[in-house]
Amino acid sequence: MGREVSESCVDNLMIEMVSAYCNRFYSTKPELAARRIEAIGYQVGHQLSERYTMERPRFSDHLEAIKFICKDFWAELFKKQIDNLKTNHRGTFVLQDNRFQWLTRMSIDPSPANADLSQDSSGETAENRAVQITSMHLYFPCGIIRGALSNLGIPCAVSVDTSNLPACSFVVRIKA
Amino acid sequence: MQFFGGSEISPAPSAPTGSGNNAHMMYIFNRNGVCLLYREWNRPLRTLNAQQDHKLMFGLLFSLKSFTAKMDPTSVEKGNLGVPQLPGQGCSFHSFRTNTYKLSFMESPSGIKIILVTHPKTGDLQEPLKYVYNLYVEYVVKNPLYVPGTPIRCDLFNTALDQYARSLA
Repeated sequence: MGREVSESCVDNLMIEMVSAYCNRFYSTKPELAARRIEAIGYQVGHQLSERYTMERPRFSDHLEAIKFICKDFWAELFKKQIDNLKTNHRGTFVLQDNRFQWLTRMSIDPSPANADLSQDSSGETAENRAVQITSMHLYFPCGIIRGALSNLGIPCAVSVDTSNLPACSFVVRIKA
Repeated sequence: MQFFGGSEISPAPSAPTGSGNNAHMMYIFNRNGVCLLYREWNRPLRTLNAQQDHKLMFGLLFSLKSFTAKMDPTSVEKGNLGVPQLPGQGCSFHSFRTNTYKLSFMESPSGIKIILVTHPKTGDLQEPLKYVYNLYVEYVVKNPLYVPGTPIRCDLFNTALDQYARSLA
C-alpha cells in the first residue's frame, strides 16, 4: 500500500468525471448520469473496503460496520472522521460530515447588484444549476458508502442531504 | 529651490493606517487578455469605463513586460518575448511607483497576470502576489462550478481575497 497520488489530481479527476457525465454523455438525462456516477462509486467503495479491512476480524453487527465507515474508512479517504452519527435503531443511520472535502471549494455566484426584473429568473436558474451540480458531485461518495457496506455484507441505500454546505449528511437505509 | 519642494503643491497621501485599507484595487487577467477579476477597495477617481480601463491596463502591462525584456542590459540571449516565463527566468517586470500609488505585477507560467495597486510606501509585494495566486488555484481552479476563461464569480474566492487584502501592511 505504498503508492500515493496527489490530492489535486484526484480532485480534478472528480470534477472532470462529473462534468463529462453530466454535460457530454448523458446531457439530456441527468438521472442516468447520476446512476452511472453512483455505480462507479459503488465499484470504488467495494474495492476500497476490501483493502482497508484486510487485517481486521469480521464485524459483529451493523452498528460496528457503520462505525468502521465513520472512523477508519473516512479517515483513510479524507483524513478526517465523520463528525456526527445518528441512528433510529431501526436500520437508518445518518452520517454527518461538517466539512466534506470535495465540497469545500465549491462556491456560487454572488448575487448580482442590478435589480432588473427580467434577470430575476436567470439568477434563480444559476443557483438551481449550482445546487444541481453539487448534488451530482455527491452521488460518487454515496456510491462509495454503498459499495463498502455491501462488501461487508450489508445491502443498503444511501442518499444525501445538503441543506447547509459544506456540511452534508449521508442517510444510510439498511435493507431488512 | 521651491520647484523641487513639492510638499505644498501635491501633498503626499497619509501613511498607511493599521486598519488595513492599504490596497486600492486588483486586476487578474488571463493569457488572452480576458479580465477575470477586478476588485476595488478604495478608488475615488475613475476616468474610463470598465472595458476601456481593463484594455488599457492589459495593454500597458504587455508593453512594459516587452520593453523591460528588450532593454535588459544583463541578458545573454534574446529570450522568447511575449511568452510567460517561469519565475526567476528571464527578465520580469515587478512594479512601478508614482508619488500617490504603487502598482505591483506578477505573471505565472500559465499566463495569469495579477496586478495590485497599493499605497506608495508598500514594500516588495512578490510574496503576497504569490499568495493571491495560491488563493486563485485553491478557490477558482478547483471550483467545479467555474468555467476556465470566464470572469471569476466565486464567493469563497472573493471573501478570502478581501480578508487577505485587509491584512496587507
